[in-house]
Amino acid sequence: MATAIHTAGLCRRFGSTDAVDGVDLDVSDGEIYAFLGPNGAGKTTTVRMLTTLLRPTSGVATIAGYDVIADAGAVRRLIGVALQQVALDPLMTPRELLELQGALYRLSRAEAATRRDDLLERLDLADSASKRVMALSGGMRRRLDLAMSLIGRPQVLFLDEPSTGLDPISRRAVWAEVRELNDSGTTVFLTTQYLEEADHLAHRVGFINGGRISLEGTPETLKRQMGQTRLRVRVAEGQRGAAASQLAAFGHVQSSDSDWVIVALRDGAPAVPAAMHILHESHVSVTDVDVQQPTLDDVFVSLTGDHLAAPGAKA
Amino acid sequence: MRAVWLLMRRGLNEILRVPGAAIPGILAPTIFVLGFAVAFGGLAGLAGFTTSDYVSFVLPVGLLQGAGFSGGAIGVNLARDLEMGRFDRLLLSPTSRPSLLAGTILSASLRAMLPATLVLVVALLAGASVTSVPLLVLAVVVTALFAIVAALYGVSLALNLQTQSAAPLMQAGLFAVVLISSSYAPRPQLAPWLETIADANPVTYVLELTRLAFVDHANAWSTVWPGVAALVGLMLALALVVALSLRRVVAR
Amino acid sequence: MTAELRVVWLLAIRSVRQALRRPQMLAPVVLLPSVFLVANTGAAGRAPSLPGFPPVPAFLDFELPGIILLAATLAAVPGGTALALDVERNFLDRFLAAPMPRAIAVTGRLAGIGLVGSLASVVFLLAGVLFGMQLQSGPLGAGLIVVLAGLTAAGFGGLGAAIAIATGKASYVTGSFPLVFLLLFLSSTFFPAELLRDPGATIAAGNPLTWVADGMRGPILNPGVDLQTTLAAFGGVAVVGVIGAGSAYIALRRRLVATA
Repeated sequence: MATAIHTAGLCRRFGSTDAVDGVDLDVSDGEIYAFLGPNGAGKTTTVRMLTTLLRPTSGVATIAGYDVIADAGAVRRLIGVALQQVALDPLMTPRELLELQGALYRLSRAEAATRRDDLLERLDLADSASKRVMALSGGMRRRLDLAMSLIGRPQVLFLDEPSTGLDPISRRAVWAEVRELNDSGTTVFLTTQYLEEADHLAHRVGFINGGRISLEGTPETLKRQMGQTRLRVRVAEGQRGAAASQLAAFGHVQSSDSDWVIVALRDGAPAVPAAMHILHESHVSVTDVDVQQPTLDDVFVSLTGDHLAAPGAKA
Repeated sequence: MRAVWLLMRRGLNEILRVPGAAIPGILAPTIFVLGFAVAFGGLAGLAGFTTSDYVSFVLPVGLLQGAGFSGGAIGVNLARDLEMGRFDRLLLSPTSRPSLLAGTILSASLRAMLPATLVLVVALLAGASVTSVPLLVLAVVVTALFAIVAALYGVSLALNLQTQSAAPLMQAGLFAVVLISSSYAPRPQLAPWLETIADANPVTYVLELTRLAFVDHANAWSTVWPGVAALVGLMLALALVVALSLRRVVAR
Repeated sequence: MTAELRVVWLLAIRSVRQALRRPQMLAPVVLLPSVFLVANTGAAGRAPSLPGFPPVPAFLDFELPGIILLAATLAAVPGGTALALDVERNFLDRFLAAPMPRAIAVTGRLAGIGLVGSLASVVFLLAGVLFGMQLQSGPLGAGLIVVLAGLTAAGFGGLGAAIAIATGKASYVTGSFPLVFLLLFLSSTFFPAELLRDPGATIAAGNPLTWVADGMRGPILNPGVDLQTTLAAFGGVAVVGVIGAGSAYIALRRRLVATA
């Protein structure tokens, strides 16, 4: 499979700080690759280098085989970019912005008009096409920003934290659009602090921390390798100790301030019936039960010892 | 009183901590005085002009413009605070509402001393003269009070419009009202239509009061009392507008 | 090339739209020059009787070209401010990430500022005629004035753009406008160069804005277009343009290198 994005030893230094410190990655054509990491990890810096907005200090980066420095013009023709901060003119309308963006991507007037109308329709902005950006909601501005990044039918789409500031409904609308784009062949490189987003969308995930990729793989593989299914049981008053001692045989019992007893199952979900049977045999009265599948947050915690706190999201 | 003093100091923060933002207000009046003197100095050769020393004649324009810019900046900053919601935080405090604005408005008078000092120093170096020290002191006091007038104007606009977009209206408005007076030439020398406007413009009298410090006047008292009356009248009228506007803002 | 020209045109239209949609941005271009027009003509109306003042039907006829020049130079303020906001809002990145020459972000903005300057000149020409100014050289002269105003605005716009790109702060752009006035006062913008108080007269003789002001004044005061004055005016515009636009492109290049 052809490589859409390739980096080798990619570095970027600001003064004495290595914001990106030797990133090696390969993203295949048609893949959705999510770049996860806390604030200041180097995600945006990496995106800016890959989109020719920032020159690498050292290392190599290519997009569809074109070097981001030597063939910057060719790279720009192939990519679409939606940066972390929506880059819109509040005094312009969606129609005007898309027309300008189309011209920047060398579309003819007719082509740009067709593409503009198509994107306005697809991203549910047709009714607001003549309203000034300042009158649009945050979700609509994000969708407009996405529309602008798509005007040139990019082969590779870069989305830097596309869901930041969006309500859950708008977020899911963006996910649906990203999936649809990918289905039609667009490679997507997205950075995010929302683990759910990466879990939901990405074929592969890369964790970056301190300017380096610490872990990479498919969400399922990573969760299986590094996360554990958790069994949570609520028991009758006074039986927490008994429940905890019985469940200790199945894995690490995590402390809890509430009346829930939580155990990270060593053998995963198949161990649940046996664990419940033991509790029953021990006359522990279970009033509620919950099974939690491993999440990417578990992966991140095992990597860094801390939760990845997305803005507004629970870690 | 402490709240008033602290808010007065906050009003000076912009100059002290962000000098780049305040340079136009400090530099512009001096540039205008020198510019007017170079460009229009020949007008002093016209028959009937009250002095041959055009720098001295036009110096008060710089003083009042500086006061106008200083006061206008207070209005712009308040508009920004209102737009960003920072003013709501002040309203939550137990400090009396008028005190919240009093300190900010009063800081304009201190702020105006910066451009005023520069204008005076440069104009004097360029050959301007002072008629008497007491009148110079009066001119400085009038400048400080005019800055308060300008701040009241800016604050009234800020309270009513609550947007930084009104900034040009504040600055340009004050700029215009200083110019369409006896700024370039004595009133009898103006075109009849401008003379009528200048006669009706209270800032004309404030300007002429300030001018006493730099240009000899046969009957100074006939200039003093209209100037003082205009200044006091402007302060009272605009203070009333501010009070009513503040009440409306608080009541919403 | 066609694609690039289309982008420049769209950006120019964008500048005009921004000015019209935020009317307060027009304050430096329309309001301030209007105040000067009123104050200058009302206060200095008797100036033509001064010895050495060139023969004019009225002071308005002398002054209006200077006011047009003032409006053209001040068009740099809203234009530069808008570009600074583009930098602040990362809108500039849209141009830098697009398959277009990166300088187009500047070129388009300068074209827009030039267009605003030209439109302002039309407004003031119409106002002048309304108040009794006699445009001696007719539509040809008016066209020349509009072109000179547009080119001067674009040139000065370059200085505003340079500040905007270098600092990314709108307040620094607006803070620069007093310096524009300094250049104008030390020229024949508001008063004949020969009648300025020294060192104004000396400086004005070599100030490119004097050549531009005189070039704009000629078509109003004289029938026909004087070749020498017109060439000098375009020379002045060229000087302003090279310095202004040059500064802007250098600032952009420096920014790209700094972020490189």
